[in-house]
Amino acid sequence: MRRYIAGIATAVLVAAVAGCGSSGDSGGTATENGTTKVKVGVIPIVDVAPIYLGQKKGFFASRKIELTMESGQGGAAIVPGVVSGQFQFGFSNLTSLLIAQTKSVPIKVVSNGVASTGKAGADFGGVTVKKDSPIKTAADLAGKKVAVNTLKNIGDTTVRESVRKAGGDPSGIKFVEIPFPNMPAALDAGQVDAAWVVEPSLSAITATGGRVVAWNYVDAAPNLTVAAYFTSTKLLADKPDLIKSFTAAMNESLSYADSHPDEVRDIIGSYTKIDPAVRAKLTLPKWPTEINRASVETLAKLGTQDGVITGTPDLSKLLP
Amino acid sequence: MTVAVRRRPGLALYGLAGMAALLALVELLPRIGVVSPRYLPPASRIAAALADEAGTAQFWAAVRDTLVGWALGLLIAVVAGVVIGVVIGSIPVLRAITASTVEFLRPIPSVALIPLAVLLYGTDLRSTLLLVVYAAFWQVLVQVLYGVADVDPVADETARSYRLGPWARVRYLLWPTALPYVLTGVRLAAAVALVLAVTTELIIGAPGLGAQIAVAQTSQAVPTMYALVVVTGLLGVAINLAARSAEHRLLGWHQSVRAEEAA
Repeated sequence: MRRYIAGIATAVLVAAVAGCGSSGDSGGTATENGTTKVKVGVIPIVDVAPIYLGQKKGFFASRKIELTMESGQGGAAIVPGVVSGQFQFGFSNLTSLLIAQTKSVPIKVVSNGVASTGKAGADFGGVTVKKDSPIKTAADLAGKKVAVNTLKNIGDTTVRESVRKAGGDPSGIKFVEIPFPNMPAALDAGQVDAAWVVEPSLSAITATGGRVVAWNYVDAAPNLTVAAYFTSTKLLADKPDLIKSFTAAMNESLSYADSHPDEVRDIIGSYTKIDPAVRAKLTLPKWPTEINRASVETLAKLGTQDGVITGTPDLSKLLP
Repeated sequence: MTVAVRRRPGLALYGLAGMAALLALVELLPRIGVVSPRYLPPASRIAAALADEAGTAQFWAAVRDTLVGWALGLLIAVVAGVVIGVVIGSIPVLRAITASTVEFLRPIPSVALIPLAVLLYGTDLRSTLLLVVYAAFWQVLVQVLYGVADVDPVADETARSYRLGPWARVRYLLWPTALPYVLTGVRLAAAVALVLAVTTELIIGAPGLGAQIAVAQTSQAVPTMYALVVVTGLLGVAINLAARSAEHRLLGWHQSVRAEEAA
């Protein structure tokens, strides 16, 4: 028995030491042969296809960056992960980043993430209703129950703007929080009157006869920048060269993805489980390298107006 | 376990019949339209998705990640629970000092520590371990404390009269008394550890089956999502069977097990 205990104790000790070994460098930017290991917090959705494609194409390796994608549902872990140094970079929508900025969270955008196509009728997100719903236009959403993935974020501000632009009164809309994947079922069951969804849930709804009544990203601002990659201000100060290389690699990946939609559809299959038939048809977003500053200003304005953002975000501190 | 099955084949048959009925129900409900097959696919489609998944290296890597998180977390929790439990349990002053603290810390749900895990360790294995160990540790510790308190006072006095040292008393008196409690604690902890391993993966995206379930969900791959959920259930059954058979083997001498075998 004594031997067993000693054996177990040794095993635990070894495990603990091994655990420490891999965590030795809290910055996670250990350099080996001049290559920097970098962790990026992402959400496993269509939007982040360029970084996976860029990794496959070697756009990061050629700049001596070894990428590891850390993907979590909803991305709740991304901003705290970047600030605490668990991730070197993260992917987040701009309203979240603006909210973080007004709360003085030390982060800075390093490259564009994803943008709306800017085309009503062909965007990667929209407000959907059931086939037989009496709601025909965005204005009809006034006073209705609308599902968004996160309350007080990019979904509700942009949906309100759609309703406003269509001449409706957005003040009576009741927003409820439902994760994107559950929205087709929630809409079907009549738990909500309308649901704001993005791909591939958008395809799932339209495939069963659902209709899009508002293209909220298109209505919010022309060519809206939806999300961006960001880092901590600490890493920005400590490793400016790494940031420059990452931004360059990211820009190359974004342009490549934007001009090679077929390769994008293929790479999506590598990190999601989206059905190949859906993957072949879903609407891809745009991936410009430039952040549309005017659209971010609009998002900030809308957010402040709707009470989603408290205080005035300082864009010069957030954007590069 | 095997003994019981051999003696009473009816029990195993009933168990299988129950499973078959459940499968038939899941096959039938979507087919007759009680639930939409889009949100609950029939069992046969889930099985097909499971077969597809089982053909991918990604799936087996996820199973391995989940099992590593579970096993390592359980091991740490059991060793810590036993060592700390024996020390606290055999020193009355320590027990009095820690009693209220244990009662305060024990009911804190492990999932409430998710923000802490993310801040400390991000989304890797160590986050899973933190939550698994926290949840499993109390199961073991509390059982060990009960086990230690169950030592027969007369036997304890006798051991002291014979001048058995502290180590010998732990080895020959305390440990055999506490062992059934410890094993109960381990069995409970094994189940809790699996729940927490999958939860952590599902919520914060630490690699494993939970993360795969989350990816399947965001991808609207409904049959695949159910297939992975089924796998976590099968893992749970396997873990429980293994824990029970280990308990029987290690406690073959104990009256609680002998009584069960004789029945």
